[in-house]
Order: sequence, then structure tokens, then C-alpha cells
Amino acid sequence: MEDNYIIEMLNITKVFPGIVANDNVTLRLKKGEIHALLGENGAGKSTLMSILFGLYQADSGEIRKNGKVVKINNPNDANALGIGMVHQHFKLVEIFTVLENIMLGDEPTKLGFLQRKQARERIMKFSQQYGLEVNLDALIEDISVGMQQRVEILKMLYRDNEILIFDEPTAVLTPQEIDDLMEIMREFARSGKSIIFITHKLNEIMAVADRCTVLRKGKCVGTVNIKDTTKEELSRMMVGRDVSFSVNKADANPGEVVLSVRNLSVPSSIHKTNAVRNVSFDVRAGEIVCIAGIDGNGQTELVYALTGLERPSGGTITLCGRDITRASIRNRSKTGMSHIPEDRQKHGLILDYTLEENLVLQRYWQPEFQNKGFIRFDAMRSYATRLIDQYDIRSGQGPVTIVRSMSGGNQQKAIVARELDKDHKLLVAVQPTRGLDVGAIEYIHRQLVSDRDAGKAVLIVSFELDEVMDISDRILVMYEGEIVGELDPKTTTVQELGLYMSGAKRSTVKEMSYA
Amino acid sequence: MHNESLSKKNVFHLKKITGSKAFSTFTAALLAILLGLVFGFIVMLIASPPNAVPGIFAVLTGGFRRIADVIYYATPIMMTGLAVGFAFKMGLFNIGASGQYTMGMFFAMYAGFFFNLPRGLHWIVCVAMGMLGGLLWGLIPGVFKALLNVNEVITSIMFNYIGMFLVDMWIQTTPGMYVADKARTAYLPASAQMPSLGIPNSGVNISIFIAIAIAILLFIVLSKTTFGYELKATGYNRHASTYAGMNGKRNIILTMAIAGALAGLGGAFAFLAPSSIPGSSVTYEPINVIAPNGFNGIAVALLGNSSPIGIIFSSVFISHIQRGGTQARLFGYEYEIIDVVISVIIYFSAFVMLMQEVAKKALRQLLDSLKRSFGKKGAEKASDAQPAAEIMAEPELSEVEKEGQK
Amino acid sequence: MNSNDLLKEFIDVFYFIVQNMLPVAIPLLLVALGGMFSERSGVINIALEGIMLFGAFFGCLFVYYVQNTGLNPQVILLLGMVIGAISGFIYSLLLSVAAVNLKADQTITGTALNLIIPAGILLFSRMYFNSDGVTTRVRFYISKIPVLGDIPVIGRLFFQNTYITVYIGLLLLVICTIFFYKTRLGLRLRACGEHPHAADSVGINVYRMRHLGVGLSGILGGIGGFFYAVGIMDGNVNGHTGVAGFGFLALAVMIFGQWKPIRIFFAALFFAFFRTLAPSRSLIPFVRDMNINAAYFKMLPYAATMVVLAFTSKKSRAPKAEGIPFDKGQR
Repeated sequence: MEDNYIIEMLNITKVFPGIVANDNVTLRLKKGEIHALLGENGAGKSTLMSILFGLYQADSGEIRKNGKVVKINNPNDANALGIGMVHQHFKLVEIFTVLENIMLGDEPTKLGFLQRKQARERIMKFSQQYGLEVNLDALIEDISVGMQQRVEILKMLYRDNEILIFDEPTAVLTPQEIDDLMEIMREFARSGKSIIFITHKLNEIMAVADRCTVLRKGKCVGTVNIKDTTKEELSRMMVGRDVSFSVNKADANPGEVVLSVRNLSVPSSIHKTNAVRNVSFDVRAGEIVCIAGIDGNGQTELVYALTGLERPSGGTITLCGRDITRASIRNRSKTGMSHIPEDRQKHGLILDYTLEENLVLQRYWQPEFQNKGFIRFDAMRSYATRLIDQYDIRSGQGPVTIVRSMSGGNQQKAIVARELDKDHKLLVAVQPTRGLDVGAIEYIHRQLVSDRDAGKAVLIVSFELDEVMDISDRILVMYEGEIVGELDPKTTTVQELGLYMSGAKRSTVKEMSYA
Repeated sequence: MHNESLSKKNVFHLKKITGSKAFSTFTAALLAILLGLVFGFIVMLIASPPNAVPGIFAVLTGGFRRIADVIYYATPIMMTGLAVGFAFKMGLFNIGASGQYTMGMFFAMYAGFFFNLPRGLHWIVCVAMGMLGGLLWGLIPGVFKALLNVNEVITSIMFNYIGMFLVDMWIQTTPGMYVADKARTAYLPASAQMPSLGIPNSGVNISIFIAIAIAILLFIVLSKTTFGYELKATGYNRHASTYAGMNGKRNIILTMAIAGALAGLGGAFAFLAPSSIPGSSVTYEPINVIAPNGFNGIAVALLGNSSPIGIIFSSVFISHIQRGGTQARLFGYEYEIIDVVISVIIYFSAFVMLMQEVAKKALRQLLDSLKRSFGKKGAEKASDAQPAAEIMAEPELSEVEKEGQK
Repeated sequence: MNSNDLLKEFIDVFYFIVQNMLPVAIPLLLVALGGMFSERSGVINIALEGIMLFGAFFGCLFVYYVQNTGLNPQVILLLGMVIGAISGFIYSLLLSVAAVNLKADQTITGTALNLIIPAGILLFSRMYFNSDGVTTRVRFYISKIPVLGDIPVIGRLFFQNTYITVYIGLLLLVICTIFFYKTRLGLRLRACGEHPHAADSVGINVYRMRHLGVGLSGILGGIGGFFYAVGIMDGNVNGHTGVAGFGFLALAVMIFGQWKPIRIFFAALFFAFFRTLAPSRSLIPFVRDMNINAAYFKMLPYAATMVVLAFTSKKSRAPKAEGIPFDKGQR
């Protein structure tokens, strides 16, 4: 049996400043199998694969291919060994065409001049063989996320890779697209390629993988045959305890309308068309409304327009009866809007400020914290101390910790604390649990539900279907800048949601009611 | 053993000091200065080998013989340094201090020549006018940046040229301001000159106290007020400051206007200075050259780590070696040697982070070796054990440091 | 004055402007192309002004030492160009090493590099030539190119009263464009300025590509600087006026040209036109009559830059990764 291993990563250890990302991890990949790599965010999956792909070098341990020890110092070495990778965040040059992206780094040339035709023919061959449809002359910025993923897959085939790494490939796909991808993965396996499939979604592993290696906090928990295991066992291995996946919450008790959006359109930053088209919906006090959809269908722009980061090109936004369509961000905040932003490090925090300075980021101008323009440092300190206590924000030096040195989970907790503690009627939260571990996810979900129970209106944008199904009282689906359906999480299924998300299905009835 | 416990305590303190941020910035600045001077020395060696040693000695010590002049010349660059440093705090690179300085100079001089005001009030109005001129010239890049998204570096540079051409033209075409046969501005009336401190043969005047007061005021604004909070927040993370509802556009314009006003004051201070010879004053020669004091301000700001208090000291230092540079002339070196040294200092200040690391390491090694040789006197054997103990303690600290620098 | 005379005067002015514009446009074009290579590889090159002056200084120094050997002026020019290119390249290493390997602040480094050179030139010229720069007396100017200069209209427009720099510049434009779009190195270089991590993941050495980009900007900047000295300063260079902000104007040309070679060419012509108005003003009838102070014409290129940038900056799309040091570890 041992001869069958095409790749063996033995006793890999990798230490980053302050964290052991991989601690004596071993992973063995058989030829022709689909091998899942399971673990929570931060468990060390990506690091392990980056080592295999040559982006990082292990501090100790060895990698073998077909039993022979190999050194992988850079992606070129990995490529020479037939190892290819589809990264979680696609590594595509947006202003290049599909063709240029696929051949980049491995260009056919004559005297240094590019031979595009040669590359084109080669790509077309693979495209037809596996049914991976792409438009070679389109710019990356103009094509859908699904097609971008096909470009990444073609990049591997173009390089004749036989070991294919997929890093969280399903996060950006609709359920139907996920089915297609799995079929392609099976096809690859049948044709003798070996696949490593990184994910934290158990259903997908059960559906497609042959074996599964589980990582937890940088350590290898074990490798199991999928035939001999269950979802529950895998989740126990991943988290280290039993987890309840559903959020405990009482039925919603919606009150009056807090946020009302009518015929809203928002321009796109890249293209001439609108990213959000003619969108109308309401959010009431005491309910959680989720906006579901694949990333890139206008959710970001919608939130930017609601929160004032971008100007809409048409329509109105009303908050607590006030038209805030053209109001400043500060004004929206005063009217009662709290905002947990999508990118916590870009928008949510000033990483070089201390924790206490960040906790007053939305309130430093209020009389409580300043007197004639001079900051009241004592008030700031006692306020920060209270929030740190109440929301259990852990940090090295308490209020004076530089936020940059805090963990992602605690950074997010700081934002949640700040936005929930602020006087608000509406909470807009975008991807509030992205990149967090299960404990932090549970915590933040609980906070969101209790905010709802306190009578606030909560609007959540999420790309995670499970999260959408678990936490929402009402689901709005966005597709290509429009709201194409309104669903009740109690009566709908993931499959139905998927049909809406992919644009295959739409209901116009509900939309009419807002006209 | 008794020796060891003592030195451990010592090590702890040293680490506390060398680990602090302000200290490492300081050592980095020293390192940049050192490299600049070494480079200057090499240039001097190439240019004229036998004179290099006395030449560099003159650069280093020349200023001590003319302390009043050092102070006098430090004042304008303290102001341009503040103009650059203040904008830096907001993440803006105000390379346009030269134009703002020149504009401030013109406004101040114009008021000096043509405003008829009583003694005691006249110079104050002139200073205020200088501030206004600089403010206007700083406002423009601010407006271009805030409203039209034009990079402030390019705008500032273009307006350095436009300002310089404008001022030179205005001066040459304003009768009463310009003496054509000398190709220089006329002498300012005595009432427009700033009160002298009365040091013979020197133009040093009360502007140094105004400048220091302004620096302290800026320090308070930056560290104690909501405006300072917003300004630094924007400098650290523009996106987050927008998200928090800060008025980014207003703050950009305001910051650039303030920076311009500071540089304009520099121009006013430089040219409203009293002359040691009665009846004369500092004059300006309109020869289409961009004011170097704006660029000196960049060096001052970088060496002072953009901190108003740091800038007080760095401006005095730059002024000191500039005065030294005039002494190097005695050994056949042109004054420009100092400009070379200053630009090399700017160059090395650009990789502060790296310099801090290098400086810290070098300093620690120095302290360690000092300690080791010191310890050898008492017990030969213990000297080997001590460094090992330190290395053990190292990882803890470096982790914190690295996190802080991410 | 009858209409025929007026027409003739108009045509003369037109010829004069075109003939004067091209030697001005070429340094702008080359330096802006240099900036393009640097920025499209991911490094902001604000040091172009200094690189130009460095190239111009050593080019002129070379001319100074060979001007009495009796070499053909055009050969001297070509050799001087090579010297300018080499020195520009060497000087650009100070930027690329700092920006690429040491991850320094690119704007500050560039500013320092701009400041060192004028001071250095003044220092050395005063000590050795007792002047503010290098003065040469080779006549690079060509009144008329044989055969081509006799072609009607075109001959007078492009092959009379000109410098050989114009043709070299246009040739370099063609070479740069082909290199940029048609070769493997060009494709890889452009990838590094947009998404260096994507380039890195397919095995491209981002550091090397950025060195290449900055190096090319050094070569083109050095040539552009020397061509400035030849075509605008009559073969002289001095530390006071330097290259009069041409390096910065070239940056504006590059932005106006949207970091693309052919557009940069037209942008350079546009700016050169404004620069040519100053010496031409006494020839243009209605401008002459207005009696405008010369200083306004000197300001014109800089003011035009601001107007152009004000209109284009909102939509301009700079290379995404420019100015950000590449760090393999961060993703």
C-alpha cells in the first residue's frame, strides 16, 4: 500500500512569530484519490498547502514524492513536480485576459516573443476535454467568479499538474455550481490525478472525498476513510467537542419598519453598469434579515450605499422615518445605524491605535468623551474597561493594547462590542463571522440574536449558506445586483436557495409589494 | 552568582529602554545621520583628500562657534519641518513646503513694504500675512487631493514651480520691492523686522520662541484633541476614518492649509529677520530657483519622526551642520556638501523600519560586549554563561516586538 | 497685411512650433516610458528628475572630454546617450535596491535621490570647473537632413532644424511598445505591478521583475536626461536649473497617458506643445500683441499639468500594486 502514496508530507512543523501554524503534521496523498483536508479557520490548512506549493518552507519535516524526498523552495519547484493549486483568493491579474492569465509564468515563446496562438490551442484542448468553458479573450474583471475559478483550474491543467490542490473552492459557488465542481473533481480523479480538497464544510467531504485528514490548532488529529466515518465524528475531530450547528433562538417578533429601501441603484466601481439595480426592501425592528447570494452580486455595493461609503445613483433609503439617501456617515450613525463592516482591518479598526481608542471610534465626538475638542481620556478609559469586561475582549495589555497585536476573533469582538453598545436602531453586519473559529462564531451569533431580541432591526450580509439558514428570520437573495427572491428559512431548502442565488429562479411577486 | 543576579536586573532595564518605540526611532535617526556624514566624508575624500579630515571636523563643530546663527537658521526649517511632519501624520507627503515658504515670504515682504503700520504692530501683521500666503498655497494641493483625487505629491511639486515663478515675477514687477541693478529685493523698513534678541553680529530674533511655541501647540493638538485623533486615524487608515464618519475631505484640506501656514511662517521668519547692520535686512534674489528650505524641512521632519517636539531638535541639528558646512569652505569645500549630506540622510531615513532593527541590534551588541568586558574583570567564567541567559530571554521579547511591527 | 502674408506667417509659426516641439517631446516621452516601466512593475519612481539629471550630467561630461577629438557630433551624441543610459541605470539601482530589497518608502527615497544630484553637481562643478555645471560646445543641431529634408511639407516639418534625438526617441517608443506587449518579460513585468502574488504563485521572481522595471526607467531616464541637455539646453547642464521639473512633468505625462505607451506619446506631444509656446510667443501674432509676462509662459506646462490631472485623476487607474513593497509572506 505504501508505494501508492504520490505525495507524503511527513512531520511538518512551521512556526510564525507568535504562533505554531503546523505542529508535526503528516499528510499522505494516494494516487487518484480525493483527499479532504478539514479544519477550522486558523487550523493551519492553508499554511500546510502553501508549504507543499512552495510559498513557505517548513521549519522541519520532509516532503516525499513517490517515496523520494524532494525540496520545494518555490512555486516553480512545485510545478516541476506536477503540483498545482487553486487558491482561496484567486491569483488572477484583473486587467489581463483569461488567456494571458493561464499562460503567465509558462508562456510559449519564440526568441522571447509570446506565441499566443500556441497557448490558445493548448488551453482549448483542456477546456473541451473537461467541459471547462471559458472566454479566452475576456478580461478577468469582466467575468463571473465561477468562470474565474475555471480559469484557475485550467491554469493547473495547462501546466500538466497531476496533484491538484483546491483551497476552499466552494465558498464562492452556488450549490448547483458546487455539484458541477465535484463532478469535475471526480473526473480528474478518474483520469489519474490526485486531489487535495481543503474545506471546513462536512457535507462536501461526505459527498466527494475518499479520505480526510483533520487539523486542529496546527496539530494533526488524524486521517480517516470517509466510508467509515460520520459527519458528527468529523466535526468532533475538527472542533474537539460536540457542537450544535443550529442557533437557539425564539421566533421573531417584527415591529415597525426601521429601514426602508426603495428602488435603490448603486454604480459599479469597475464597470459602467450599476452594481445594484432597483432594489427595494424593508427591515423591521426585532427581526434578522439576511441577504444571501454569491460574493460579487452587488451585496458590497448595497451595504456601501446603505452605510454611506458610496453614493447611490438612484432610489431612496429611509432610516427611522428619515430620508438618509444623501446623509453623511456621521449623520447615519446619529440617526441610529451601527455597522459591522465586511473588512474589519480595512474599515473596522485602526490597527495602530490602542484598543480603547478603537472602542470610541464611533463616539469620540460625543460630549461624554470630549470637552471643547479635548479628549476626555479618563472617560475613554473607563468606557473601554467596561466594554472589555462585558464583551470578554481578550488582549495583552487591556485598554492600551495596540489592536494590531490582537487575534482576529478578538478584533472582531471589539468591533461587535463597539457597534452593539452604541445607541442604535439598525445593525448592518457584513460577513460578521468570516475567518473566525467555531467558538467566536457561536459567540457572535448569540450577540446578533440578543440584539434582535432587544428590539433592534438587524440586516446581515453573508455568503455562508449555513449561516444564512441558521440565523435569519427572513432571507433576501441577491443576484446580479437585484433582489430575486424573498424566502422564509423555515420553509425553504438550501437547494431552493441555490437556485435563486444562481439566477435560475426568481420570484417577482414579493418585489411587487414594495412598489 | 551574586554577580549574575545583578546583571540580570541590568539586562531587564536595558531591554526596556532599547525596546521602546521612541528610543528605537531615535537610534534610527542617529544611524541615518551617521551614514549621511560618512557619505559626506567620502565625497570630501574624493573631492580633495588632504582636506577631508579638517573639513568634516569643521562641519561637525563649526556650528558651536556660531550658536546664535544656528538658532537663527534653525527657525525657518523648524517651520518647514513642522509643515512636512504635520501633514505626514495624516499620511500626506507635503513636498510643497518650498512653494508655501516662498509664498509666505512674498506675502510677508509685501506687507513689510507697503503696509503703513506703527512699530510693534507692523511685523506682527507681516508674520500673519506670511502665514496667510503659505496657507493659500497649502490649501490648493489639499483641495486637489480632497475633491479631485489628484496625488498631493505631484500637485505640490507643480505648485512649487508655479509659486516660484509667480513670486519671482511679482517681485520683479513691483516697484519699491525690487532693486533692479542689484537683482535683489530692497531692504525692509525697520518696523517690519522682528525684534532682535540683541546678540551682536547675528539675526537671531524672537521668532525662535514663536516657532517653539507653535511646535508645542501642535504637539497638544495632535495628542490631546479630537482633531488630532481624527488626523492620526486618517493617517493610519484612511478607510477606517471614513467608516467612522470623519470628514476626510475637510480634514485633508484643513491639514494641508495648516501645513501651508506653517511653511509660510517659515518664509516670513526667514526674511523678516533683523539685520546686524542697521538699515539693511535679509534680501531675496529672484533667480527661478525653488526654495531649498522646503526640502530641508523634509529632512527635519523625517529625523524628528514627524513629532513636533522631535522636530525642534532635528531642526537645530540640521542648522548646526549647515553652519558647519559654511566653515568647510575654508578647506575648499563648497557649501553644497551639506546639501549632499542632508539628502543622503533623507535617503537613509526612508527605511526607518530596517534602520531601527539594525540600530537596535548594533546597540545591543555594543552593550553586551561592553558588559562582557566589564564582567571579565570580576569573574572570567561567568562571562560565558551570561550571554546564554540573555538568549534564553530573547524570544519572549522579540515576539511582542514583531507583533507590534506587523 | 494682406491675407496671403498672414497665411504665410501662420504656416511659418506652425513649422516653427512643430520643429521645436519634437526635441522637447522626446525627453518627456522617454522619461514617461521609464516611469511606466517602473510603475507597471510596482515601484513608484518619483526619482525620475534626479535620474534625468544624473544621466545628463555624465552624458555632458563625456561630451566635454571628447569635444576636441574631432569626432562627428552625431557619433558623440550617440556615445553620450549610451553614457547617459548607463549612468541613469546605475543611479536607479539606489532606488530599486531601497524599494525592492529593503522595502523602503518609495516616495521619500525618490525625493532624496532628486535632492542629492543637483547638490552633487554644484559641488563638483564649482570645485573643478569653477561654474555651476558642465558647458560643452558641440553642435548637435541639424539644419537639414539630406534627401529627406527636401520632401515637401513633411521634409520641413520633420527633417529640418532638428536633432537626431527625435528619431532615436521614436525608435525607442516602438521598441518599448513591442517589448511591453509582445514579449514574455513585458507580460511578466505588467503582472508584477497589478498582482505580484499572482505572479509569484506561477513562479515569477517579483523582485527581479521590479528591478527590471526600475532599471529600464533608469536607462530611459538617463537617455531622456541627456536628450534634454542636448535638445533643450544646447548640450549644457547645471545644478541650479537641473532639468526644470521635466522628471515630474514626465510623471504627469505618464498619468495622462494612463500608463500605456502610445497614449503616453500623445500626452508627451501635448505637454511639449505648452512648453514650446514660451519660445514661440514672439512669433505668434495675437499672442505677441497681448504682451504677457514671460513668467506666465514658464508656468504654463506646470499649470497645464494641474488642469489635465484635475480632469483625469478621478477615473485614472494606476497599477494596483504600485508603491506597495512585495512581501512573500503576506498574502
